Amino acid sequence: MASQILPLELIDRCIGSKIYVVMKSEREFSGTLLGFDDFVNMVLEDVTEYENTPQGRNSTKLAQTLLNGNNICMLIPGSEGPQE
Amino acid sequence: MDPSASGIQEPFDLIRLSLSERVFVKLRGDREVAGILHAYDGHMNLILSDVEETIMIVDPEVAEQGQSVVNVAKRKMDMLFVRGDGVILVSPPART
Amino acid sequence: MSDSTPPPPPAGDAPPAPAPPTHVGSPTDFLKGVVGKRVIVRLTSGVDYRGILSCLDGYMNIAMEQTEEHVGGSVVNRYGDAFIRGNNVLYISAAEAL
Repeated sequence: MASQILPLELIDRCIGSKIYVVMKSEREFSGTLLGFDDFVNMVLEDVTEYENTPQGRNSTKLAQTLLNGNNICMLIPGSEGPQE
Repeated sequence: MDPSASGIQEPFDLIRLSLSERVFVKLRGDREVAGILHAYDGHMNLILSDVEETIMIVDPEVAEQGQSVVNVAKRKMDMLFVRGDGVILVSPPART
Repeated sequence: MSDSTPPPPPAGDAPPAPAPPTHVGSPTDFLKGVVGKRVIVRLTSGVDYRGILSCLDGYMNIAMEQTEEHVGGSVVNRYGDAFIRGNNVLYISAAEAL
């Protein structure tokens, strides 16, 4: 049990690095993680929002953003988001 | 822009200051109502009177062609309870 | 017993510092900085509200001023004041320098 690490400790180690956020819906965000709270509401910087539609992927650039934790599905530490 | 200048410290203040005034309410399911606000609670359950509901009717055939032609119908209700979880936005009358 | 030191961690397996409850850059810090500024509030439905953030609470209920409602890139409504119920909020993004 000595190596047991809590899920949120992993996210805490990502502060200051890039993170890729996949929402429950067809929406994704990449950006630099500045902080988060117990609900996994996240503050991101230099954000790109990706919206996947049948017509293709729309992306939007955002400045500092507070992302509501309620709709988050997965977090991928260190990833810049979808490659291409 | 000092937010305290408008006398609002928390979002519910905006609703409190709108009591007895006509408010516009946007609801889930493309519903919109406007009426006089009589009561509200922490869930944003609302009691409105003298209500006009605006109903958006999108013609699916026309919508398929990419044109968003929306027909609007209206209906009136004397007194209405709105369940809070359906509320998206409440806008009070313009402050002067 | 009271001042016994914990055993040293095994080599190569340094335990992480426990997550501090708050830190600079936390959601609370962000919100303190953004009140009174121009913001973009996007709802899960994709509708955007652009205006000045008056205040908000722990549910992410939001009061905004000079609000423009954007749907599909165009302004469809303007509100002097608007209350947005927090459960609909996807994100709050700064629309001017903090």
